This record gives sequence, structure tokens and C-alpha cells, in this order.
Amino acid sequence: MKLRFAAGRLLALVRRRRLDGELEGEILAHLEIAEFHAIAAGLSPEEARREARRGFGGMEQMKEDHRDQRSVRWVANLLRDVRYGMASLARDPGFAAVTIGLLALGIGANTAMFSIVDAVLLKPLPFPEPERMVRLWEAPTPTLHNNTTTLTFLDWKRQGAIFEALSVEEPVRAAVATGADAARLSGKLVSADYFNVFGVKARIGRTFALGEDQPGATPVVVLSYSLWQTQFGGDPDILKRDLALDGESHRIIGVLPAGSFDRDEARFWKPLIFAPDELNRGQHWLHVIGRLRAGVSIEQARANMSMLRAGLGGVIPQKDLGFAVDPFAQFLVHDTLRRSIYLAFGAVLLVLLIACANVANLALAKGATRRKEMAIRAALGAGRARLIGQLLTESLVLCLLGGVAGVAVAYLLLHAAAPLVMVLLPSTADLSLDLRVLAFAAAAVMAVLVLTGLLPSLQTSFGKLSSSLNQAARGSSGSSAAVRRTIVIGEVAASVVLICGAALLFKSLAKLQQVDAGVRIDHVITMSADLPSAAYPTPESAATFYEAVVERLRAVPGVEQASLSLDLPLQGVRWGEWISLGGVKEALLVRVKMVDPWYFATLEIPVESGRGIEDRDRAGAPPVMVINQKAARYLSSRFDIAHPVGRAVGIGLPGYGPIPESLVSVQIVGVIRNERTGGLHEPVEPVAYVPLAQVPRQDISLVVRTRNEPLAAMSGIREAVRQVDPHLPLGEVRTMEQVKEQSMLWAKQPTWVVGAFAGVAALMAALGLYGVLALAVTEQRREIGIRMALGARPGDVVSHILRSALAMLIVGLAGGLAGAFALTRALKSLLFEVSALDPVAIAVACVLMTVVGMLAAWIPASRAAGVDPMTVLRDDG
Amino acid sequence: MSEYKTDVPYGTLDLLILKTLDTMGPMHGYRIARRIEQVAENLLRLNQGSIYPALIRLEEQGWIRTHWGISETKRKVKFYSLTRAGAKQLSVAVANWERATALVARFLEAES
Repeated sequence: MKLRFAAGRLLALVRRRRLDGELEGEILAHLEIAEFHAIAAGLSPEEARREARRGFGGMEQMKEDHRDQRSVRWVANLLRDVRYGMASLARDPGFAAVTIGLLALGIGANTAMFSIVDAVLLKPLPFPEPERMVRLWEAPTPTLHNNTTTLTFLDWKRQGAIFEALSVEEPVRAAVATGADAARLSGKLVSADYFNVFGVKARIGRTFALGEDQPGATPVVVLSYSLWQTQFGGDPDILKRDLALDGESHRIIGVLPAGSFDRDEARFWKPLIFAPDELNRGQHWLHVIGRLRAGVSIEQARANMSMLRAGLGGVIPQKDLGFAVDPFAQFLVHDTLRRSIYLAFGAVLLVLLIACANVANLALAKGATRRKEMAIRAALGAGRARLIGQLLTESLVLCLLGGVAGVAVAYLLLHAAAPLVMVLLPSTADLSLDLRVLAFAAAAVMAVLVLTGLLPSLQTSFGKLSSSLNQAARGSSGSSAAVRRTIVIGEVAASVVLICGAALLFKSLAKLQQVDAGVRIDHVITMSADLPSAAYPTPESAATFYEAVVERLRAVPGVEQASLSLDLPLQGVRWGEWISLGGVKEALLVRVKMVDPWYFATLEIPVESGRGIEDRDRAGAPPVMVINQKAARYLSSRFDIAHPVGRAVGIGLPGYGPIPESLVSVQIVGVIRNERTGGLHEPVEPVAYVPLAQVPRQDISLVVRTRNEPLAAMSGIREAVRQVDPHLPLGEVRTMEQVKEQSMLWAKQPTWVVGAFAGVAALMAALGLYGVLALAVTEQRREIGIRMALGARPGDVVSHILRSALAMLIVGLAGGLAGAFALTRALKSLLFEVSALDPVAIAVACVLMTVVGMLAAWIPASRAAGVDPMTVLRDDG
Repeated sequence: MSEYKTDVPYGTLDLLILKTLDTMGPMHGYRIARRIEQVAENLLRLNQGSIYPALIRLEEQGWIRTHWGISETKRKVKFYSLTRAGAKQLSVAVANWERATALVARFLEAES
């Protein structure tokens, strides 16, 4: 029934014209019949006509009546309200600008943040059927994940019933000749199946064919879209060209589509062909990704893999080693990153809420001044629903304008922030304002509309007619003042939550920055280099290079010390090995770092006992090792070796190039003070240093200490390296300060984001407080005037206003602290050596909010003190 | 006489129309208006025009339906007739009305 009724009304809107015509016809017919009967009753035609019209009554009013009923009136009303709303906004451009500005900021920040949430957490893998993508590991213990060996990978590869595609993924860098200068590009060594794992097809040409990762295959390479664009200018005949990688020519067989692979570090992909000596089960070096067959669950895959492991039995020497299968997405997003994003999203939602509160408050204040208008409209017969509708429509116009501006703000924010943020996000994350994000923005606008529009419109239209008319005439405040105060208290509380969070994060960041890295940070510059196998085929050739380059570097003016090492401090150490001790069954897992004799001196790492690596520790000399204090402590606590210097230990050390890893007996010759090899927040790792000359590597870092500004020495450094090898490009030029900055990025970015939001929130809360007090002062001018006339001094008036501000602030602070305590759990895991209830941080937050709040209250208070009782009383009297 | 004419009691025009259609069968707007005036024996001041909004309202409720017919002036006009739902509504409205008048009558009797 209802439905049919509604349908009828809607239909009526469509048929309105026709129905109006029909009605007209019906009326004419009615009059005609009436006339006809009147004439039959003996009236003259003239009289009959008049009589018929008299009997019918007011014709236009009747038609209007019927139209009201038949057409869907609200459509017409809506249009009128929108027009009226626009006009009313135009009348008060200040209010409109502030409101739209607040909403644009709130909605924009939220939309930008949602875009990150969406890209990283909601749809992290922009590939077909991402749930089928997995990573495969060896699990030495159930909780540990490790890379696998070549032979084990080949065993996995035979599980065709489970995996549709399985591929290794090894980062590689190669020199690509581009005109005069050589550049080092990142790439990946992969199996032929690699792109099937991602379900990605080439944009031009093809990806790898089966067998192209087998020995003897022609060297081929697939380019990323961006490499094709930058290096080859988007040449459509790219497939006819070759790419020389480290001097070796590779046939270009395909170019990837633009998109997610462009955000990967890699610019080219080439097949990884296993060398005969790599076919072993000793070298755990392969990172494996795969795509499950359709219909195969991850549990089935796990079951299959553990069966395979059981079948391999004794082939794999480590008895407890298992095989692990994990969803690809699982390791894409670190817990820290996930929490940081949730935290930032929570913060930005709070900011939006505060913005809404401010807008609602503005609307309430405006509503109070519009009471009279509303009362008059009500007196003239407008229904309450009609008035609420009108006010809501005005809010809708504001919210829509705010939303549109917000999307623009989000666009700008994303563009400004993307370069900063992308470093922390997985390379697959696709930050864009797509339909999902726009839908979110629309939802935000609707939520804002409900939050900001409903309360003020109810408030404004609820009042009793007569009292509204009277009150408005007298210009004093009603109950809406209480609502506005409550909203401000809520704003203060929400801001306090954010400021507390920001204060804690900043304190945590400060603590992190105070952590002693154990190495010289200032006046040190670092860069990386890769010795190509073609130019440096033997360990001897590499060792010659090391010596020559350090000698040249030290001769550069402004350079104090120069050295080489495998990894930089704070960046993690790639190599890990077990140290075995004669006669003890257990072994100690240490990170292994290859360094030259000047590494410790360059970074000012003191030798605690014994000696450091020295020039005499060359290839052919007795193998030696220096350990850090942490390793020494482990040796003493676990193996009862109080004095490690002089002890001989066994350790597996990597060979140069294709030379396989070998177990070597080395002598510990010294202990050095701990350097932070990993992140500053991580515990110090046990590290063993071995001479680079004895364990040469192709991928090395140069560490140079300078007398002055380190970047200024770069041209001299480059020239020195060019003198040793004119074709060797230097990559990743960074000062140690930058390296340290980067290692703290994970903590820094969320802190600054939350800090910025907290600042915005505090300002908005202050604005809200100011608005409420300013309005109160305006409304109470009469009262203030009377009090001053009765002898109150300006100081009394000021303190009266400030007291009322302080009361709101204190209630808000209490609420905010309660909220902050409730939310400590969310923050705890992101804090470094700071309790989530840190009293100093919380006190600072409270003081900050109070100061900002009191400053905001000062302006209206001082204005109140300036009230001239005579003027006020005369004006309003 | 005309000084004592009363307006159509608020809300009863629908009832009057339904009852008219119930007793007289399908008829056009003019006839409905005239019939109401005749039954009321000129005690009622009815703006004949006001029955049209009522007719549209009743049609939207589904209580009456229309079809085209020819008037005594040989013009194509709408004829209105009661639907089954309309008949049901009529009995409900009549019952309500009777209850209301009975209640008011009881009060008036008690007063005297």
C-alpha cells in the first residue's frame, strides 16, 4: 500500500504536466455540465455561467491544493532550499569560508590517509588473485624464516600439483652504459616463472619463456616501463635492441606495463641460471615466491610441503628444519608500519571529528542568531520538518563544497607526501585517488553532514516560538550555549588525546636519537660500489683495487680517513654465520662483516682488547677475526670463554664470486666496542669482523671521513675512484647523518604525522574555545555592562571569562587524559624506551593544551574588559 | 436559509464521496458534488471544486478508480467508481464516524 502510494506520487511528478491538463479538462467539463443543468433549470446562459463558477469555488486555489498533494513537494522544496542556502552562504562569506576550510582540511586529510590505508592494508597486492601468491621459506625452527638452498628450491619446483608458478628472486645490480657515464641499475635475477607468480604480462614483447633460466640459454632481459621510458625514450622498436649489463650483451625480449613494477627498485629482470657449484644444500641464499594453483588452499600447500620435507629425510642435514608457506601479503606490511598507519588514521579521524565539532559549533552560534528568522518562519506556518530540512540543506551545501575542496586537498597532500611516504610503504602500494577513495570521501561528507547539520538544525528549530521571538529580540543566550560548551569540552578532550600521543612519540623519538650509534656520525660520507666480475675476476684483483682506492681516497684534500666494508652501520648486516668452538656442540650465531684495516679508525670504533684488523691480515696470512663486545659477552656467558682473544673458532665464510662457501678456522685477535649494526631501537647484535682482504666481496661500501662538509669532498672522491677504475660507478652517496636519519624513518614519520595532526587539533580546539567565549561575551555584553556599572573592575571581568575557559579546559583535559590512558595499548608498541603513561610527556601535553586554550580565551576576555557600560546599556536599553 | 449553511466538517468529505459512490455507483465529478449537495438538502456549503483534490487523493490511496465516459454535454469526462479497498475503507470510516458521534452525543446528553 505504502509502496504504491509512493510510486503514485513519484509517477505524479513525472506526469505532472499531463495531469494538470487532465484536471483542467475535468474542471471545464464540470463547469459545462453545471451550466447545462442551470440553463435546464431556467437560468439565462449568462446567469448559468456565473452560477456554475460560484458553485465551483476558488479555482486556482483548488489547483494549487491538488498540486501540493500530488507532486512530490520535497523536490521543489529542496531546490528552493539549495538556492536559499547558497544565498544565505553568500550573505555570510566569512562563516562559509571558515566552515568549508575546516571541512576541506578534515575531509582532505582523511581521504589522503584512507588512500594509504587502502593501498597498504586493504588491497596491498595490485595483482590478479593476490590470495594465491605465497612466499616459501626454510624454517630452521618453527618461528624462524630463512632463505633456501638451490637443491631444495628445485625440489619445491617439482611440486607442480600445488604451485602454478614458483620463482626465486635475487636482487642484483649491474652497470649499464648510458653514453659517456656508466650508471648502476638495480635489477632482479629470477626464474622463468617469475611473472606468472604475479600474473603480469609484458606490455611489449613477452616475459621469460620456459627454459630461459636453464644453462646455455641466450642471455635475455625484461625491462621495467620506467627504464624503457628513461633509458630508451620509449622506443617502439625496443625489441630490436640489446642491453649491455656489466658489459655483457642481453637481448631485450619485453617491457613491463606501467604500474606496480615501476615502484619496485628493480629496473630490469633477467633469468637466474644456476651454476654447477651452486647446486648444493649448504648455501641458503634463495628467496622464493610462488603462486598456488587455483583451488589449492594454503593449508593444503603447507601439508604438501611437510610431506615433501619428510620424504627428503636425511638429504637435508638439519633435522629440525621445516618448510614454511606464508601468504605473500603477510610480510609486505610490517607490524610497525601497520600500527603506524592505524595510528595516523586514528589521529586524522580525531582531527575530522574536531573539525566537525567546530563547524557544528559555528552553525549553532549562527543558529542562535537566526532564531528570530526561524521563529518568524514558523509563525508564518512553516512546519518543523520543513525548517529542519532547510537547515540541513544549507549544511549539505556546505559539506558538499567542503568535500569537493577536501578531495582537492587530498590530491595535493598525496602529491606532496608521496615521495616521503613511499619509502616506508611496500613497493606494491598504489597510492591514488581512485573510485574507492572517492567513495570514502563521499561517505565522509555524509558523516560530516549528520554530525554538523543535525544537531544545530534540531537545536534551532526546537525552541518555543514565543520565547524564541522574545529571546532573539533581547539577544541573550539560551540553552544552546550549554551545548556549545559541551562540544568545546569534547574538542579539548580529543585534542588532549592527540597531544598526549604526539608528546609520547616525540619523547620516544628523542630517546631514539640519543642512542649512541657507536660510530662517528658527523663528517662521514658513504657510497656503494659493485666490482663487476668481468673486470675483477679473482680475489686478488679485488684486493688490489681495495688497497689502491683507499690510498687514493686518503690523498684527496679534505679527506681524513677512508675505508671499505661490506655493510654500513645502522643498515643491518647481510651475512650471518655460526661460530663453532672446538669441543663444544653448540654454536653462536653472529652477523659477519667484512672490513678493511681502516674501518674502525674511520668510524672511530675503539678496540677494547687485543687488536683490530691490520694491514698484515692479507690473503695468505693466517685468517683472523675481531668480535664486538656483545659477541664476547655471549662467549663468556654461554661458553665460559672469559678471554676470547687468542681463541681459534670455526666459521663458514663466503667465497669470492663463484667460489663456494668454506669452513675456515680463524683466530680471534681482538674485541671492539659495539657499533649499532641494525636499527637504533634494536638490541645490539653479536658481530664478527673479518678482513676484507681475506674474504673479498664485490659489493662494497666506501666510508670516508672528511675534515669539512662531507658532500663538498665528493668531487675529489669521485675523481680518486675514477683514477683507479674509470668505469666503476658509485651509487647511494649518503652522509652518515642521512644513513642515521633513514634508519629512524619508521619512527620519525608517524611521529611527525601525529604531531602535525595534534597541532592542528589543538589549534582547532582553541578556535572552538575562542568562538564560544567570543559569542558569550557578545551575548553577555549587557550583563557585563551592568556588572561594571555596579563597580566590577575590568580585571574582574577578565578573570570571570578566563575562569569559565579554564573550567571547560579542565573538564576537557580530564576527559582527554581518560581517553589517552584508554588508548595507551595502541601506542605502546610504537614507543621506544618510553612508558605509554610517561608523566612528563602527559604533563607537557596538558600544559600545552592549557596554554593554547588560555591564549584563545584571552582575546574575548580582554574585549569584555573593554566594554563601556554606558554605551551597552544605552544601546540595548 | 443560506446563512445557516455549515462547512463540510473537517475530514468528512472523503467519507461523503465514498458513500456517494457506494450508493450511486460510477459517476462523474459534477454529479458527485451535486449528489452531496442534494443529500445535504442545501444545509451544506460545498465548494464543488474542492471535491477534485479529494478525488485525486482517494485515487492515489487506491480507494476509487477512474474510467473515461461521456457526459450529458457529450464531452469525454472521468467517471469515478469505488474499488474493493474503497468499500472496505468506507465501512471502517463509517464505523469510526459512528463511534465518534455516539461519543459526542453521550457527552451532550450527560450535560443536559
